[in-house]
Amino acid sequence: MGSLKSLSLGAMLMLTCASFAQADAIKLEGGKETNLVLLPKFLGILVFDQANEGAQEAHKELANPGELLFVGPTPENSVAGQIEIMTTSATQGQGAVMLSNNAGDQIVPAAEAAKAAGTKIVTWDSPIPSGNGEDVFVAQVDFGSIGTVMADMAHSILGGKGEMAVLSATPDAANQNAWIASMQEALKGAKYADIKLVDVVYGDDQAEVSYNRALSLVDQHPNLGLIMSPTTVGIQASAKAMQDEGLCDKVKVSGLGLPSEMVSYTMNGCAPEFALWDFRDLGYLTYFTAYGMATGQLKGEIGESFHAGRMGDYTIEADPGREGAKRILMGPFTVYNKGNVEAAAK
Amino acid sequence: MTRMMEKLSPQTLRILALLAVLLVILLFFSLVIPNYLNGRLFNRISSSVAIMALIATAQTLVIITRNIDLSIGSILGFVAFATGSLVTNNPDLGPVPLVLYSITIGACFGAINGVLVAFVRVPSIIVTLGTMALFRSVLVEYSDAKSITTSNLPQWLVEFPNTVLFSIGQMQFRAAFVAAVIVVLIVHLALTRLNAARKLYAIGSNPEAAEMAGINIHKTVFVAFVLSGALAGLGGFMFLARFGTITVVAGLGFELKSVAASVVGGVNIFGGSGTVIGALIGAILVDVIETSLVRWQLVSEFWREAVLGALILLSVAADAVLMRRFISLRRKRPKSDPIPEKTSVLDGEAR
Amino acid sequence: MAETILELLDISKSFEMTHALKNMSLELKAGEVHAIVGENGAGKSTMIKIMTGVHKPTSGEIRIDGQARTLSGTQAAREAGIAAMYQEPMVFPDLDVAENIFISARNKGLFLKPTQQRQAARALVTRLGMSLDVELAASGLTLAEQQIVEIARALSEDVRVLIMDEPTASLSAYEASQLRRIAKTLAQEGVAVVYISHRLEEIFEIADRVTVIRDGGHISTRPISETTADLMIAEMVGRDVGNYFAKIPGTATDTVALKVRNLAVDDVFEGVNFDLHKGEVLCFSGLVGARRTDVALALFGVKPATRGTIEVNGTAVEIRHPKQAMDIGIAYVSEDRRKLGLAMPMSIQSNTSLATLGKFLRRFGLLDRAEERNVAEAFRKRLNIRTPNVDIAVGTLSGGNQQKVMLAKWLNMEPEILIFDEPTRGIDVGAKAEVHELIREFAKAGGAALVISSDLPEVMALGDRNLVMREGRQMGVIASENATQEKIMALATGQQNLREAS
Repeated sequence: MGSLKSLSLGAMLMLTCASFAQADAIKLEGGKETNLVLLPKFLGILVFDQANEGAQEAHKELANPGELLFVGPTPENSVAGQIEIMTTSATQGQGAVMLSNNAGDQIVPAAEAAKAAGTKIVTWDSPIPSGNGEDVFVAQVDFGSIGTVMADMAHSILGGKGEMAVLSATPDAANQNAWIASMQEALKGAKYADIKLVDVVYGDDQAEVSYNRALSLVDQHPNLGLIMSPTTVGIQASAKAMQDEGLCDKVKVSGLGLPSEMVSYTMNGCAPEFALWDFRDLGYLTYFTAYGMATGQLKGEIGESFHAGRMGDYTIEADPGREGAKRILMGPFTVYNKGNVEAAAK
Repeated sequence: MTRMMEKLSPQTLRILALLAVLLVILLFFSLVIPNYLNGRLFNRISSSVAIMALIATAQTLVIITRNIDLSIGSILGFVAFATGSLVTNNPDLGPVPLVLYSITIGACFGAINGVLVAFVRVPSIIVTLGTMALFRSVLVEYSDAKSITTSNLPQWLVEFPNTVLFSIGQMQFRAAFVAAVIVVLIVHLALTRLNAARKLYAIGSNPEAAEMAGINIHKTVFVAFVLSGALAGLGGFMFLARFGTITVVAGLGFELKSVAASVVGGVNIFGGSGTVIGALIGAILVDVIETSLVRWQLVSEFWREAVLGALILLSVAADAVLMRRFISLRRKRPKSDPIPEKTSVLDGEAR
Repeated sequence: MAETILELLDISKSFEMTHALKNMSLELKAGEVHAIVGENGAGKSTMIKIMTGVHKPTSGEIRIDGQARTLSGTQAAREAGIAAMYQEPMVFPDLDVAENIFISARNKGLFLKPTQQRQAARALVTRLGMSLDVELAASGLTLAEQQIVEIARALSEDVRVLIMDEPTASLSAYEASQLRRIAKTLAQEGVAVVYISHRLEEIFEIADRVTVIRDGGHISTRPISETTADLMIAEMVGRDVGNYFAKIPGTATDTVALKVRNLAVDDVFEGVNFDLHKGEVLCFSGLVGARRTDVALALFGVKPATRGTIEVNGTAVEIRHPKQAMDIGIAYVSEDRRKLGLAMPMSIQSNTSLATLGKFLRRFGLLDRAEERNVAEAFRKRLNIRTPNVDIAVGTLSGGNQQKVMLAKWLNMEPEILIFDEPTRGIDVGAKAEVHELIREFAKAGGAALVISSDLPEVMALGDRNLVMREGRQMGVIASENATQEKIMALATGQQNLREAS
């Protein structure tokens, strides 16, 4: 992945953590025992599994004699399951819970109780919207910049002019909603004046629902040129639907996707461009953060810098999207196209 | 009209009533949605019904025996995943072993349900509510939280569902749809022509009487669940071929959709009556409503489920009313005296 | 005489604490009609279930053709040629008549042959002297027709032992005589026919031998020529019942409680006219298909009348719903206990209060369980319901006791007009007399009773007047002092017309 052409945007460059690195970054001391829990939205999605691989890598590297548990709810029980696992983790006295939140602010009471019991709450991928009950959020990328990236991909695919629609995950997924909002904000710019966002629909992160929703978008909007799907399930289902129905010439697909899942669609032109960050890196960085906080080596205060192994130095800062909340910004992410997707898919 | 009604069996009337409702719904949506009735609509519905038709047929077999299978979506999901990982690891396997593999796994899961319902005698709604969660958890465990992706599947498998066998105008008859219709027809013929199939209806109609008639209720119910599982397995194979991407959520919610399709299709939820042709039309009806609602601008995302539920209820009600009307038309015929001549009655009871 | 087919030797059967059968023995010979009589609860049902493989005996031996056999289930019994038809017809409402007849597991072959099957079904139904559309779904059949289907099903099999449990209880006189003839014919063909009936006159007509059982034990087996009705009854009840069909004196007053004029339900019945007085028992006679129950259902608002007038205590009323009927003091004790009458899995106590829950409601809509229990206990004593306590599920009681619970449920409502539909169908002699007494008591207290009954001796004994119907038409009303069974039957079969005679 290191050899890939990484594309950092202007907005991001300004925020890149390294450039803010203060004085001395804390070097985390390995070998301290703490039990950690990695809690994804639900099990069975490839990207979460990749995050787990990254966390396991960090776990070994830091030689933590404690346990790293990868537990998650079943998909149909995501909200209740997350709350339950959060509560259980607190009673078990886990050092930290690393949460990709799918429960909105409903998780807050459980998370606050866990915090009160001494368990650190580090969110990643998807934060707690109000920031309550959360120690720090490891952001894969600046949420504001995702909107710009998606708007730019749309601009390049549509040639600056045309209709697009969004196929998202669930209507209450915090991260996707934030990205869609930031894309709508970006689209107000003069550069995108001729791009029209005609619809936003939801495929519930289920392949069959997303597939059918993509097709109905095409039926409903005869002049549709692009489906933008900021979810790995949605983008692949949309691409397959367009390919199956022979619509790739007319309607393109873009959004956030995994190279291994998208490679054939990129090569045959159904999905010429899409973006993603590395979920292994996200898991790796999240683990470093959680380990540091659980072992007391990190206080979790704004301005604190630490060294995250192979990824370099990171700093805790105020989250511009959520008042009073703190984040660690990972960044950057990669835009894939015919030129680099095959190598990344391997 | 009346004379025609006399000739038709109630089951046929039921199907006519359903078709009438379907027609009304199509007409309605063609009025409110621009550019609605075209070949593309047919292609959409037929492709998506291909899977639901199998599941609704499976559900119907179980409902006829006065039972229910809520684990059907989980079975489908598991089979789709298992078959997907089999073919990922053995890309040279042909269609026949893969389909057999799917059906066998499905049948095994069905057998678990069947044993618990028929022999351990736990009510099916409880058994399958349990196995619905259980099978899905087994899938989560088995899958190791990974997913199957299209890129790992052989080309023939991915292309199979959308292969156009023949077209009428814009309407394409694709392999998956045609295969599903053939399966439904086979099951239909079996249910109407096979001696053993009568047992399913008898058990659902009056279990006590079935027992008295010497029918082995337990075995028959067990077989119904196994067949249902096998059909769900076949559905899993079709699901894999159509969507390619299989995560642990595959088939989530299919259990209720299949019940809806069956019941809309005139299958009595208390057992004893119903046809799989009805269930097929029920599946089409539900799918048409669902697909059309998405395109109907008036209904927002958040109200869609509610409107879908309301429309399903409405079509069930319309169908019931039509059915009653048809039957009363049949009744109007002059009937022959049901009571035979009783000239010799005084020799009888009155001593 | 002919060889023995089936033998029960010292069979006992207990369910938990109760002994349903104690050292029961029975011997069935080819070619005989073997009647079994006994009060309800004597153990007849359990005995049938032992013979048909539903229950396994706790001890004792079953022999078929002299060989000891274990009947592992109903299928095994069927294969041994033992078939039974029960009091409550066992039909499949969703299947048609022909399918019902040939549903049995012994009907082998991979494919259905609908045409052949229908033909065979028609032949069987014709053999029973009936005309039934064999393509009709069984759900549309009357109880009597369902019974015919069940008989035909038993006939369709290669039976060696045919157990008929109260087969004629719901049949018209003509159908019953036909059936008895068929039972006799089957016996002549070498089948052992077990015939269970409360109608002693039937037994004298067709039985070769009679076995009396009481309290789960065998009392006697005699050739029919060596017994009398009085002897049988004495053995059955263990006491001398005497004149159980004695005429009970009337208590009718001049006050009209219910006045019905030109009542009709389109396509069902028409032209029903009568006055029912307080203190009177008016019987409705007729054969199956006379539509008497439909008149009752119209009066009770289940299937409301489409034409005609109803007056209750001099006020014109319109009854569209059972609730309305109940509000103006009309109650209906159904013929079909299972379907319309009782909630079988619920306790006696709950069933008793079901129609009158309002009476037991206390503040906050809570149910006064103590009061409910008191009332149920009072009825248990008054109606002599044989049960250890009122918490028992109604479904476990015998037919006669179930009927009494039904009566309790409606008497509890304290109705002014009570319609009884076949109140003594399928219950034993002792219970019958008790039910008659209850109806009389109700009338004596000023109630107006309308009794639908197919049992002519009962009609003669109980009714002050008799309204006879035939195929949806009122044929006439006969005062009981002028009535004979022959007169009633003549009207019911349409051989005579009579103007309103009261």
